[in-house]
Amino acid sequence: MRKITTGLAYAFLLVMSLITLFPFVYMILTGLMTHQETVQMPPTLIPHHLQFSNYVEVFKEIPFLRYFVNTLFVSVITTIATLITCTLAAFALTSLQFRFKKLIFTIMVGLLMVPYESIIFTNYNTIANLGLLNTYAALIVPFLTSIFYIYFLNNYMKAMPDSIYKAAKVDGASDMEYIWRVLVPMVRPALVTVGILTFIMSWNSFLWPLLVTNNDNMRLLNNGLAAFETESGAQTQLQMAAATMTVVPVLIIYFVFRKEIIKGVSNNGTKG
Amino acid sequence: MAKKKYRPENQKKAWWFLLPSLLVIAVFSIYPLFRSFYMSFQSGFLLNQQFAGFSNYIQIFHDPVFIQALENTAIFGIVVVPLALAISLLIAWIIFEKVKHKAIFETIFFMPYVTSMIAVGIIFQYFFNKDYGMVNFLLGLVGIPSVNWLDNIHMSIPTLIIFGIWNGLAFNIIILLSGFRNINPEYYTIAEMYGATGWEKFSRITFPQLLPTISFLLTVNFIGAFKVYTEVFALFGGQAGIANSAVTAVFYIYNKFYLMGRPGVAMAASVVLFLIIIVITIVQRMLTRRKDI
Repeated sequence: MRKITTGLAYAFLLVMSLITLFPFVYMILTGLMTHQETVQMPPTLIPHHLQFSNYVEVFKEIPFLRYFVNTLFVSVITTIATLITCTLAAFALTSLQFRFKKLIFTIMVGLLMVPYESIIFTNYNTIANLGLLNTYAALIVPFLTSIFYIYFLNNYMKAMPDSIYKAAKVDGASDMEYIWRVLVPMVRPALVTVGILTFIMSWNSFLWPLLVTNNDNMRLLNNGLAAFETESGAQTQLQMAAATMTVVPVLIIYFVFRKEIIKGVSNNGTKG
Repeated sequence: MAKKKYRPENQKKAWWFLLPSLLVIAVFSIYPLFRSFYMSFQSGFLLNQQFAGFSNYIQIFHDPVFIQALENTAIFGIVVVPLALAISLLIAWIIFEKVKHKAIFETIFFMPYVTSMIAVGIIFQYFFNKDYGMVNFLLGLVGIPSVNWLDNIHMSIPTLIIFGIWNGLAFNIIILLSGFRNINPEYYTIAEMYGATGWEKFSRITFPQLLPTISFLLTVNFIGAFKVYTEVFALFGGQAGIANSAVTAVFYIYNKFYLMGRPGVAMAASVVLFLIIIVITIVQRMLTRRKDI
């Protein structure tokens, strides 16, 4: 009886892993097939000849390189800015005493409950009124900080003894010196997590860039991909090649930093 | 926090460190909150708006598309959330209990969380293709005739639900696994001493210990379900399914705001969505009575 349950459990686990993994594997394979191979029945599993020319074709049909550079630029700037602003804010909330500190905390916790989707359209108005539609600023400025990560870093920093900050002050360090030379090295694992997750979320962002950009030069990868998907009709092999190029960079980062990413998400989750 | 009563000084410099974050938060989180609320009471197009009382609210609740959006969103949530959670619980439990190389499975199951939903949506569109999709091919092998997954008003929501479950597993499994790891292993040692069976261990120790994690996931997932948008966009190529059959709350807001230029109506809908989400959050807080926040 016990053996049967274990066997069933393994079988279920294997089937589910296959269902999770297969779309990614098949995306890469389909991106290397001929059009004929993608639409015949029974479905082709392995392309007969690898059609790397599909990738060339994608670059010919849409400014994919431009989307790629835009996305990389926006994600990198967003990540660096988020790291800086959140570290500074979390430092103030952890080590300094000031009036209204409690109020700031209350407001931030309250704002965490506000769904992003219910304020995003008003933010579109703000950006439009500032005349920033179709600019990098529109894509970056609203994400220069993150309440969630201020809160996350504050939780992490709280675990360290107060006396470290006081000792640094006694030694004559300025606040900036303390942050840069003592605090940052100590909270490094948390910063790595925040950085990677911010980068990935920024890379995958969709609704906001869809709202604030509408010309080809400013498009980000996912929006370019979605538009290409509707414009290219049934060119499945090209869509898959484009999808592969969107997904693979993130997957590489994921495989390198998977421990930090998984740990970061599960900590965020359980702390809520 | 008790020791903080002694206050050496009011360190005003703190505001300089908070300034960059507070500026962004004020302009892009606090201001829009009030602005959306204000706009929901105004009618007309962006440039000439007048006060309109509750007319936008009355209008959306008489709009069959909005009602359908709420219905779709609710069906999506009610089906996807428990199903995805049950499957995730089973997978996480098997990984935790039976598998040696846990990291491999953890890595595989978490992949959908980090990958672009648009890209995955394109793959699923291909799988669900009526004529040459993988899904219909596999169904054909066991003798089930082709299903028109994407272009049939009655199939839009079921297809979206399958996609939603696939997407939802990753986060659940990771959070559940960390929940499993936080259970004190001594409980199991003692239970085994008394000869408890696998099922007894699960129902008496694992499940009760996991309840806070499960209730957390229920809330997060329900909130996520009410905000579903990108999944729909990705699966139906920018449309809300054929003939708007898969329209969701956020999709409705997007259409009214962006495509039809009716910000007042859109904002009324987003205030309603916001209230629904706040209610879910508050109910969960009350049910679990968490002390930490």
